[in-house]
This record gives sequence, structure tokens and C-alpha cells, in this order.
Amino acid sequence: MGLKTRLDRIPRRKIPGSSIIYIPSGKYLKMATFGYSSVLADIIYIWAIQYYGNTAIEDRYTHLIHIFSIISELDPSYIDPYVVGALIAVEDTRDVALALKILDMGLAKNPGQWIFPLEAGHYAQLYLKDYALAKEYYRKTMNIPGSPAIARRLYAASAFKANDLTAAWETWLEVFQASADPQIRKIASNHLYEVKAAIDAGTIRDAVARYRAKSGRNPAALEDLVRSGVLARLPKDYDEKDYLYDPATGQIKTQVAPWKR
Amino acid sequence: MTITVIARNTFKEAVRDRVLYLLLFFAAVSILFARVLALLTVGDRVKIIEDVGLASISLFGALMAILIGTGLVYKEIEKRTIFTLLAKPLRRHEFLLGKFLGLVLTLAVLLAAMSLIFLALVLAHTGTLEWNLLLAVVYIFFELVLITAVAILFSSFSTPILSSLFALAFYLIGHFSWSLETLLKKLPSGATRTFLRFVYTLLPDLENFNIRSEVVHQLPVAGAHLLYSAAYGLVYAAFILGLAIVIFRRRDFI
Repeated sequence: MGLKTRLDRIPRRKIPGSSIIYIPSGKYLKMATFGYSSVLADIIYIWAIQYYGNTAIEDRYTHLIHIFSIISELDPSYIDPYVVGALIAVEDTRDVALALKILDMGLAKNPGQWIFPLEAGHYAQLYLKDYALAKEYYRKTMNIPGSPAIARRLYAASAFKANDLTAAWETWLEVFQASADPQIRKIASNHLYEVKAAIDAGTIRDAVARYRAKSGRNPAALEDLVRSGVLARLPKDYDEKDYLYDPATGQIKTQVAPWKR
Repeated sequence: MTITVIARNTFKEAVRDRVLYLLLFFAAVSILFARVLALLTVGDRVKIIEDVGLASISLFGALMAILIGTGLVYKEIEKRTIFTLLAKPLRRHEFLLGKFLGLVLTLAVLLAAMSLIFLALVLAHTGTLEWNLLLAVVYIFFELVLITAVAILFSSFSTPILSSLFALAFYLIGHFSWSLETLLKKLPSGATRTFLRFVYTLLPDLENFNIRSEVVHQLPVAGAHLLYSAAYGLVYAAFILGLAIVIFRRRDFI
């Protein structure tokens, strides 16, 4: 024991991260596990957690996809490594594309796991601000049996932000009609109010532009659009109230904010 | 009747073997070590415990089958007790089958003991008795039955050390042979491919009994797979035992 303690005190030169070069491809590694690939996947995953927590290895993220691909080859149904690998890619390296690649790999191997497109949608929305991409991931999520109800609402919200107003309207309407929970119905109703306002504002803006082209000025009031025959009738908001119109700027808005109805 | 007597005695002999208890001890330590390993993970700890636990049962079960099985027949020859036995109204195939069944019984008891420790550990973590895990143990047992037959085969004509090496090689080949399929897919059709396919079909495929991953992830396992792999194991074991009987019958002990 004394010898061991002495030996431990002797400093040895170590190259941080040097162990990684010995890791071969997952496909070949699986052959060498002789049926114990799941256990090896567990061990590599646990090792990876320690490895990526070691700040002494500056280039530790270089092989991130390689490490998590190996785990995926060894145990394709192991969910945690995909989720944690994507989390490391996003939080530590800010490489959202890599995170999405890891989550896509997880989904390809486990088509019944809604957690992957849900996480991917979250990253696309939060970090990339790519709402069309987020919408696509949320669509995949809500189509997987057993996915949480929130996936449909996230899909509708991202469709609205991606300016796909038809999809947003239809989905929020489905949520409103399908839910028995008053709080969810209220949320859906507020969103329907917001989506309808966006659709109507577009219609009114087009009409104002046509009016301006015809008469050379903005209408003094929205009713002028009907009187001049540019619009057959003025749209009302979701609560059957009139929209507010500013003739100076041409801005159209609802009487109340959606969340203050 | 005679087979039962030999089997009972083989069981008694095997449970007196210290190697068995040493392996059982290490198996228990290995199963319990899963708990330590699980503490290091992020996410599902039970998955780690189940993976390591089932792998320990499989690995130590195979070691028990190989290390005890390869010495069973040889010891009788080495100690010359075989002369006394064969002088009695006992046929050689009855002797071998008795030895085989005795060891299979020993392994069944040991698997039950290891499973008990394993299920208790899982119960401590999940609060439920996950009986579905026993399906993986049942197929580990089928694999061990086949390995036992192989150990008996080598034991009938070779020394324990060589037999252990042969049986271990059989075990490794059995878990590696599936990779030949990958090679087959890449080969163009022709004589080499036909030969390789023949080798692939002939070699044991112990991965057929490996349903541990499916059980741990609670994935469905096709009923046909369960049925055919059990039949495959039993038929393969019967073939190996048949071979062992043929070799053992031809042996001259004097």
C-alpha cells in the first residue's frame, strides 16, 4: 500500500484526450463484442460523459459525432446517448446542426421515439430561429403515437411564426375542438384570435394597397374600403369586434392583445 | 433411470466444485457492480443495471458451463472411475447423457440463483418485479445447454485445458459468425459465396439466443424467433451430443 501511495505521487506526463484515437468504427467494434454490445455501449456512454466533462481536453468535441455514432451502432435503441449527445453539441459547442444530426440519427434508428423530433424542433426553434424547420420536426413528433399533446401546440405555434397561417389556424382549431381542458381551450382560443388577426390584417393591407393605387391616398377609415368597392365586407376579429386602423401609417391591429382577452 | 442416477451424481459432484462458487461469487459481484456503474450515468440507470446484470449472468454462466463441463468426463477417465462405471450395466451414451443432464441441472440452479440476485437489484431500483427480464435468462439457458453439449463433446476425447480452449473458441465463433452475413452481402455470387454460405449455415449462431437488448428496451420479440431459436438450440445440442456419443463409443480406455 505504501508503494502504491508513493507511485501515485510520482507525476506522469499524460496527453489529455489521447485515448480517443483507439476507438474504431462502431460497426467493427460490434463484431468484437461477442454479443455484449449493449454493455459496451453503456460503458462508452459513461466514459463519454466523463470525457466531455473534462475541460483539460480542448479539442474534445472534434469526435463528438463519431463517439455517439459508435454508441448508436452498438445499441441503436439506447435513447439517452442521442439526447445527451445533442445537448452537448448545442450547449457546449453551439453546433445546432450537429445536434440535429445526432437526433436525426436517433429517429432513423427508433422511428417510434417522439423525443428526438421534439428535441430537434426545440433546438431549431430556440437556437436557429428556423420556424419552418421546427414546424417540420414538430409535425413528425405529433405523428408518432404516444407523443405528448404539447407537440401539436408547438407545431401550430411554429407554423404561425413560419407564416404558414393556414396550418396554424387548422391546428389551433383542432386543439381547441379536441381539448376538454378549459385552460388549453383558452390558450388555443387566444392563438386562433392571433392567427385570424394576422390573416385579416393581410387581407385589409392588400385592400388598402389597392385603394391607394386607385385613389392615390390611404382610406380615412376602413369603411371606405367597402364604400369604394375594394372589399365586399370588412372582416371582424375572432371576437366579432372591429379592427383598429391608423390612416397615417396604414397599420391594422386588434382592439386587445391576444393574451388580454 | 440410469441416466437420472448419473445426472443426480453429476449434479452432486458439480455443486461440490469450488470453482463453481468462485464463479458464482464473481457473478454476484459483477451484477452488484452494475449499481456502481449506474451511478455514473446520465439518464436511465435501470437500463445500465439490466444490461450489466444480464451480461454477467450470460458470461459467468458460459464460463461455468465451459470450466465444469470440460472436466466432467475427463475426470472420470483420469481417476479411472470410468472402469467401475462401465463395468456395470451402463451404456456409454447413458453415461454421457447423464453427465450432460446433471450439468444442465446445475446450470439451471445457478442461473436461478444469479437471476434472484439480479431481480432483487432491479426491484430495489424500480420497485417492481420485472418478470419479463426472465425471458432473456431463459434464452441464456438455451445457449448454455448448447455450450454444455460442446464442453461434453470435447471432454470426451481431450484434456480439460484443451477442451476449455476449444469450447471457448466455439463460444467466440458462435457470437462472431453473424458477421459472415455482412461479408456474404458484399461477395458476388459464385463458388466462394456458396462455400461461405455453407460455412455460415454450419457454424453455430449463438446470437440467436441473445434477446437481452430487446428485453431491456422492452421491444417486441417475434414469437417465431423465440420458437425457432429454442428449437435451433435444442437440435444443435442434440447433434453435438450425438457426435460426442459416437466419439465416446469408439474410445478405448484400456
